[in-house]
Amino acid sequence: MIMSARRALAGEDVRAPIRCNMNHITDILDNTPFADLAPGELSTIREHAAICVDCEQAFAAARLSSLLLQERVSQAAQDAASANPFFQTRVMAAWREQQAGSAWSLGRLWNATGALVASMAATTAALAVLMFVAPAPNTSDQQTAALAPYSAESVVLGADRDDNQLTNDQVISAIYDDDDEGK
Amino acid sequence: MAHRFFRDRSQAEEAAQETFLKAFAQLKSFEGRGSMEGWLTRIATNTCLNMLRSAKRRPEVVNADLSDDETEFLETVSSPVGAETLNAEQKVIAVDLAERLLETLSPEDRLALTMIDGEGASVNEVAEVTGWSESKVKVRAFRARKKAREALAKLLR
Repeated sequence: MIMSARRALAGEDVRAPIRCNMNHITDILDNTPFADLAPGELSTIREHAAICVDCEQAFAAARLSSLLLQERVSQAAQDAASANPFFQTRVMAAWREQQAGSAWSLGRLWNATGALVASMAATTAALAVLMFVAPAPNTSDQQTAALAPYSAESVVLGADRDDNQLTNDQVISAIYDDDDEGK
Repeated sequence: MAHRFFRDRSQAEEAAQETFLKAFAQLKSFEGRGSMEGWLTRIATNTCLNMLRSAKRRPEVVNADLSDDETEFLETVSSPVGAETLNAEQKVIAVDLAERLLETLSPEDRLALTMIDGEGASVNEVAEVTGWSESKVKVRAFRARKKAREALAKLLR
């Protein structure tokens, strides 16, 4: 009424629909659930919607949205009430399956990779033995060889060594030693 | 609870089953501080939201997608003297349209709109179920309400 009076005073055709740029109606509609709108708010909206096309459309859409949602919820409640009678059985079966599945999956994992894991463990153990146990005799052999006044060649060939293999110094010392002994 | 999110019975049952399996597995973590129902509802809500997040969102509903029956329904109910109570056929169309409208929203917006505008739940109740702050619930509901209203306004033009 007030808006119509203002438009009439401004010389506008009051029966022509107006388009408003104000968001006050849509703000009310978006801030509050349609079902919770206060009677005062509803009358304000209706009064404005009677002369404003955009707000009339917004009001109709909000009302429709509320209606659709309530029907959807009502349908959901009916669906929930008529739940599948075997649902509990189904859930318990799924639970048992899940429990069995977790144990079974460990067994299956071992079956699939057990041989590989065992062979890797055996290889690691063998490498450890070779690294820490087997090299010990070699070390002592090397130390013995280092301390001994014989080369490997002399050890091997030592028994069969003849005089041809003696150095000149050795020959000379052997001759003079013999002479000294003869004296 | 699951029927709030899923119209399809098999999807709702799948969500409910998943909820119970999670609850069985996490039963030791339930300390008995709150109610068992509240604890289960929270698990169910999160399960349903996760299922919805993994689902594809439907593009906006446009006039070209509507059947003749749906167009007629919209004309009838949006008129100033539109029927306040719907007949059985109109109810089926309404539920279908509501579902299509909800599928265009994000799972969080959908939950807020369904609970507050559809079921009449308070902001505090939604906050308890979801674990969100009250201001987040209000923002979600406002955004969802606006999107739904604008989408329907386009259909009514």
